[in-house]
Amino acid sequence: MILNVNGSRHEVQEGTRTLLEVLRDDLGLVGTKEGCGVGMCGACTVLVDGRPISGCLILAEQVVGKEILTVEGLEKNGQLHPIQQAFIDERAFQCAYCTPGFILSTAALLNENPNPSEDEIREYLSGNLCRCGSYQNILKAVLRAHQRV
Amino acid sequence: MNPIKFLEPTDFSEASSLLDQYTDDAKIIAGGVSITLMLQQKLISPSVLISLGRVSNYDFIRHDQDGLHIGALTKLRDIERSDIVKKFCPALAHTFSVVGNVRVRNQATIGGNLSAADYAADPPSMLAALNARVQVQGPEKKREISLGKFFLGFYTTALESNEILTEVVIPNLSSSARAAYHKYTSISAEGRPCVAVGAVADFDADGKCLDLRIAVGAAVETPQRLNSAEAMARGQILTDELVAAIAEEYSLRLDPLTDVRGSAWYRKEMIRVFVKRALQEVRNDR
Ligand SMILES: Cc1cc2nc3c(=O)[nH]c(=O)nc-3n(C[C@H](O)[C@H](O)[C@H](O)COP(=O)(O)OP(=O)(O)OC[C@H]3O[C@@H](n4cnc5c(N)ncnc54)[C@H](O)[C@@H]3O)c2cc1C
Ligand code: FES
Ligand code: FES
Repeated sequence: MILNVNGSRHEVQEGTRTLLEVLRDDLGLVGTKEGCGVGMCGACTVLVDGRPISGCLILAEQVVGKEILTVEGLEKNGQLHPIQQAFIDERAFQCAYCTPGFILSTAALLNENPNPSEDEIREYLSGNLCRCGSYQNILKAVLRAHQRV
Repeated sequence: MNPIKFLEPTDFSEASSLLDQYTDDAKIIAGGVSITLMLQQKLISPSVLISLGRVSNYDFIRHDQDGLHIGALTKLRDIERSDIVKKFCPALAHTFSVVGNVRVRNQATIGGNLSAADYAADPPSMLAALNARVQVQGPEKKREISLGKFFLGFYTTALESNEILTEVVIPNLSSSARAAYHKYTSISAEGRPCVAVGAVADFDADGKCLDLRIAVGAAVETPQRLNSAEAMARGQILTDELVAAIAEEYSLRLDPLTDVRGSAWYRKEMIRVFVKRALQEVRNDR
């Protein structure tokens, strides 16, 4: 079966596996993390046709024919995406395990709502958890990113 | 996970015939949120998954003379954001906006949410208070089931093993009717409900209550309405005393369950609080 990931087509083995497993184990795209495995933490966030979903809760077979974006697909020509840069500038992480998920959720948020209020940001990102508690800096990074995107 | 056959019918009657053919070996997969979780946790081991992902034309929201129609494959996030739904009943849009997190709502479908019949869910209580019904397709015939008769118990619905939920219909509300949905979460803000209260009330020009419908869910096996309590409001002004008495009736008569989100005792207390708040909202909104 063929998956479209980050703009290219990848042939992967058929079978009942989560998208998260296929991305990490078959395609080596380890930017997508596994945290809870039950849809609650957001470490495995990927965009499917532009919408954030949990890679741990969807089967690879369900996304055949759709466009999948992982954190690896954000940089262009060696240039970090403005959201990635904003997370670095605001030091919006400690261990950074949650960061790819937060960055992709932010990308989807800004796409839907280019000028979100602080409350809207908090609400939208409430399903992404950061065990290191970098929330204040993450909020700053999103505010900084929306000025640049 | 063992390899499981993944079938992708393109319409509901084909899907239902496949269900009929494979019977207990097959599971429908719509958004796949619950199904993937159950597969991962080895709670189910079907040999066939019948995906609704290639069925077209059932991802819709439409307002007709007889009410609001939502196709079974419509994503919760699209219902939450729909201007048609917001105009029809803001409390309904709100109900969908508080389900889990944005990723769950992007993937989960209304048909999957109802068919899963998980007691710890939000849409069932609001939809029950709105007198919603579901349309169902079997291999030979279609039928309609009112939501009050759809949920039979924990994870159990009135769907036959070869039937598929195709559409949810919510009858029109009178222009003087008001609705409210109150979700109480006891663990985290984006968690499943500990208590869910959907309330709909209609009033005459003098502010007397013509009709009241309250469904309490998440604290009990299936969303529960109480005729005795609803009747207390009919023809009456919803004073603070009456609101408290109706809330007390729900708290007294329902038999809540105990789980990680709260004990039966605690839920009785919270049912009283949240029925009261929902009633105050529909009353004050008038
Ligand atoms: C982290 C997390 C948080 C959550 N929080 C909440 C919450 O706060 N409130 C809440 O209400 N829910 C919550 N949920 C549950 C979630 O809403 C449901 O899992 C989801 O709605 C199921 O929809 P689906 O389309 O993904 O169904 P699927 O997983 O595809 O299917 C669910 C069940 O219904 C059957 N089915 C699906 N579609 C049909 C159909 N059209 N006809 C007949 N049978 C069908 C399937 O066979 C399966 O048994 C949460 C889930 C997660 C993972
Ligand atoms: S690993 Fe998927 S949401 Fe936590
Ligand atoms: S930075 Fe460590 S989990 Fe968020």
